[in-house]
Amino acid sequence: MTTYIAAVNETALVVFAIVVGVTMVVTYFASKRVSTATDFWAAGRGLTGPQNGFAIAGDYMSAASFLGIAGLIFLFGFDGFLYSVGFLVAFLTVLFLLAERMRNSGKYTIADTLAYRMKRQPARAAAALGTLAVVAFYLIAQMVGAGVLIEGLVGIDFWLSVALTGAFMVIYIVAGGMLATSWVQIIKAFLLMTAAIVMTIWVLAEIGWNPLDLFRDARAESAEGEAYLKPGLFLDTPLDTVSLGLGLVLGTAGLPHILMRFFTVPDAKAARGSVMWAMALIGAFYVMTTALGFGARAILGQGGEEAAGPTGNNALPTLADELGGELFLAIIAGVAFATILAVVAGLVISASGAVAHDVWSNIVRHGRDSEREEVWVAKIAAVSIGAIAIGIAIIGGEGLNVSFMVGLAFAVAASANFPALLLALTWRRFNTAGAVTGVLFGVISSVALVIISPTVWPGPDSEGGLLSWYDLANPGIISIPLGFFGCWLGTMLAREPAAEAKFDELYVRSETGLGAEGGTGLTLTGRRQGAREVAATTTTIPPV
Amino acid sequence: MTQTPASGADGADHHPEFDWEAVERSPEFRQLIKRKKAFVIPATIFFLAWYFGFIILAGYAPDFMGDEFLTDGLTVGYVLALSQFVMTWVLGWLYLRKADREFDPLAARAREAALGHATGNGDGSRRFERGSVETTEHPEARS
Repeated sequence: MTTYIAAVNETALVVFAIVVGVTMVVTYFASKRVSTATDFWAAGRGLTGPQNGFAIAGDYMSAASFLGIAGLIFLFGFDGFLYSVGFLVAFLTVLFLLAERMRNSGKYTIADTLAYRMKRQPARAAAALGTLAVVAFYLIAQMVGAGVLIEGLVGIDFWLSVALTGAFMVIYIVAGGMLATSWVQIIKAFLLMTAAIVMTIWVLAEIGWNPLDLFRDARAESAEGEAYLKPGLFLDTPLDTVSLGLGLVLGTAGLPHILMRFFTVPDAKAARGSVMWAMALIGAFYVMTTALGFGARAILGQGGEEAAGPTGNNALPTLADELGGELFLAIIAGVAFATILAVVAGLVISASGAVAHDVWSNIVRHGRDSEREEVWVAKIAAVSIGAIAIGIAIIGGEGLNVSFMVGLAFAVAASANFPALLLALTWRRFNTAGAVTGVLFGVISSVALVIISPTVWPGPDSEGGLLSWYDLANPGIISIPLGFFGCWLGTMLAREPAAEAKFDELYVRSETGLGAEGGTGLTLTGRRQGAREVAATTTTIPPV
Repeated sequence: MTQTPASGADGADHHPEFDWEAVERSPEFRQLIKRKKAFVIPATIFFLAWYFGFIILAGYAPDFMGDEFLTDGLTVGYVLALSQFVMTWVLGWLYLRKADREFDPLAARAREAALGHATGNGDGSRRFERGSVETTEHPEARS
């Protein structure tokens, strides 16, 4: 891999500069238009279903999907594809249980739905904890990944790569809010799909157009032989495989940055339409990971393992270099860079909502602050969170073991956020004590189980965990039931007639859209006819 | 910029002008929930069963998953994995079709029924301006 550094440097830099340039133009246009809190966090609720579908795909598919899954398939065969399946099926959970209900009942953050009929401060605090825990683990993993990727492919130092990624992310959010973030995600989804399609066709051309030869050639090129096409090379503990599947399929429905995207469309119909678009894009992409991963194995063979690295993350760049040389490698690196930028921007804007809307506005200021203040605090929060993430990633350095962090983010989302949200919307008796206990049970159990797991304790890739009988790397199968149990236990220990009395309102509103939040009709190129007038608040708030 | 109070500051705006309990008890709303449940509950059970069947086989029956399916190179595991993609798209499409044809008209009727029950500001428009409720005390604040 180090051999690329000198060769690719300038071409890759040009591609990266184009990616940054295009996203900055979008951000500039967005910055002219974003003014209200609804503009800032929900892009004025003016996105169409297809636009939001692309944005969800851009928000969701991280470098772990693009480089990580292809690398896992390259190294371990079938097990890598298990991730692809789980990441897609998860959207049925989102579509059936949460997408439209979130749109109808929420405003800016998942706390709006969770705290709708509860005591404001504890319920908001619980929701903010769930959001910030997910974002923290996910964000650090992405930032370290960005640093390693850019350093490896472009030759810029790790610390500078991390700092630049963080800086661009903060600029998108502070200047253009959710409108800019959404369009960065849409552009990224378009780039990612195009790159995957081009590579898939190229790989098929190389192996002679018969997709079955992908498997046959890959098997022939693997030292594992038949076992390469079977499960078990990477996920060798059966219960852990099931636990992973559970975490993936329920975790997506608890990811704050994904759920927040449903606030950016005008109504529930657009919300469910956007899930369908996202499922089409994400599904097509993950089917193509077959060609990328098995193709890398078929074409690069065992000789590619050294270049692919221990995690396999460089298998795809190596394949790109093999297929199209320096320029194609630079383009794939640029797409990976755009991928990371779009994901981290989505994460940080959801965290800024938790800090400014939930903690500052609702808990500290008891809802007495102005909308202007709220947006200012959100921008300060975005800068601070960006700075903290850059700091942790640089101090932790390349050696920081982030392999467990994305899994942990999904586990927290599935164990803390998903149970509390689902029960708030469907269980009349559910109350503040239940929400707080449930979120605490979910967060604490996921984090504790990952800390004692073999992935972390006593060190990276250790054989056994802290406890000899506990060898699960994925905590979902224990922590998700614990999250639901916490919700039930807290609810039973307290009676809250006020929360029960408000259930009818939340229930009817979430199912019918009666009383749902309206939008400002914001679009990237101008305001739409008939949009609710917001002339009184159109003065642009200067960026922090 | 004027110092307008952040109507979002205490979360979603509430709408005390609607008689939510009456809507919840209305035949239109009950019908909507009944129809939705009739699709969503079986569909959710089906997709979870199909997905976890696949995952459990991957965990506990790797040799079966590695068996050849019809032709050399294609395994049972890969075919089952692809079936998950098809299932996701088909169930998603079925849900969207149901929602457009059945759920949305029922939801619209439930909203119309709510306007009949509204104690005031319901003016027949589908989305309600929030101006009418900004002065209302927030229920969260009371608790």
